[in-house]
Amino acid sequence: MTPALLHRLIVAVADDVIAHADELTELDRAVGDGDHGINMKRGFEAVRADALSTAEKPLPDALKAIGTQLVMKVGGASGPLYGTLFLALSKEIAPDASNLPAAFAKAVEAVKARGKSQAGQKTMLDVLTPVQLALAEGEGDLPARLPDVAASAANATIPMLATRGRASFLGERSIGHMDPGARSSALIVASVCRALED
Amino acid sequence: MKDDTATEQAADRAELINAVGLHARPSVKLTQLAKTFDCRVEIALSADGPWVDAKSPVKVMRVKAPRGAVLHVRTFGKGARAAMDSLMSLVRSGFGEATDRPADIRHG
Amino acid sequence: MPNVGIVIVSHSPKIAEGAADMVRQMVGDNVNLAYTGGDPGGGLGTGVASIRAAIDRAWSEAGVAILVDLGGAETNSEIAVEMLDADRRGRVVVCNAPIVEGAVMAATEASGGSPLETVRRTAEELSPQ
Repeated sequence: MTPALLHRLIVAVADDVIAHADELTELDRAVGDGDHGINMKRGFEAVRADALSTAEKPLPDALKAIGTQLVMKVGGASGPLYGTLFLALSKEIAPDASNLPAAFAKAVEAVKARGKSQAGQKTMLDVLTPVQLALAEGEGDLPARLPDVAASAANATIPMLATRGRASFLGERSIGHMDPGARSSALIVASVCRALED
Repeated sequence: MKDDTATEQAADRAELINAVGLHARPSVKLTQLAKTFDCRVEIALSADGPWVDAKSPVKVMRVKAPRGAVLHVRTFGKGARAAMDSLMSLVRSGFGEATDRPADIRHG
Repeated sequence: MPNVGIVIVSHSPKIAEGAADMVRQMVGDNVNLAYTGGDPGGGLGTGVASIRAAIDRAWSEAGVAILVDLGGAETNSEIAVEMLDADRRGRVVVCNAPIVEGAVMAATEASGGSPLETVRRTAEELSPQ
């Protein structure tokens, strides 16, 4: 992991999230309070602003810096969750990312603990869990496969009934809408993979 | 003289004369005062109980005795009598609050 | 040992301040008390940084009990606690209690010199058992 690659990754993810802020807001208006896009944009603008200095750090420290920015700036319900994902990943990841599957698995567990939730409740975990499983299996060309795994998983949340988070208050009315957190995680996974393939 | 501090006890009662009775701030004051004593302190709305630990803020708050109710107090252990004097002073002073009936209080 | 400190974390700055006013008026001044409300963007919500600052303001060697309102306040408070130095982390608890009544009860308990666990337990007596 070179500073140049890390910088490319950070910028790619941040730019993608910022570019899709309106879409995330629309998705969140349907099932939540409509702030997911604004919150994520705020957080990733802060990450984007620090991209150069963050990329100079060893991978674990860079992830910690990103996680801290997200926790402090995103707010809402997703700030703590994305922050926890990156912070937990930063604690587990080897500087050369050689243990990514195991580290990512621990990070997903941390998100479950933080949100007191699990897969099947129509949340970002419904994307993170299949991605984590695909990483663990390690089959095929992962950067090529993972975006599809994530996108399919995000689509799969459309017919689901929300049983966690603000959307769960809508009950049956949450059915027929993609979960905003699932969409943003799928975006981030696709972004990382695309930047790695370039 | 036999040391009877372990079995020292006192019992007394007083009418709640303050406007809100044993609600909110008075219940907090009662608990805070009870906590300054080593001896056990209990309160009830009748001589038969049920008796409630006066050092527990939540339990005291839940007694919800209105103005006019009689508050029974009993204390056990070292300093029980001195504690009782202090607690009775607090209750009889109306917890230092307005003693008018709520309807009598003029506003504005 | 000094009294346990109390922190109030609400989505609303007004609720946080109002709850703190009630605590001060009902319990008095012998408990370290800090409050925070509102998110980094200035709207209703909570923020980790402001919670951390509130913990610092209310800090006591006997520890700190945090009272929260809705989910985000609890989650962000948990994160704020995890970000504390190791020697302080173990002396801060987030109470499962209604925010206003819990703060008043916790502060009452704290004002009597009770330890942190007792302060937490008292606040949590208000919640369904």
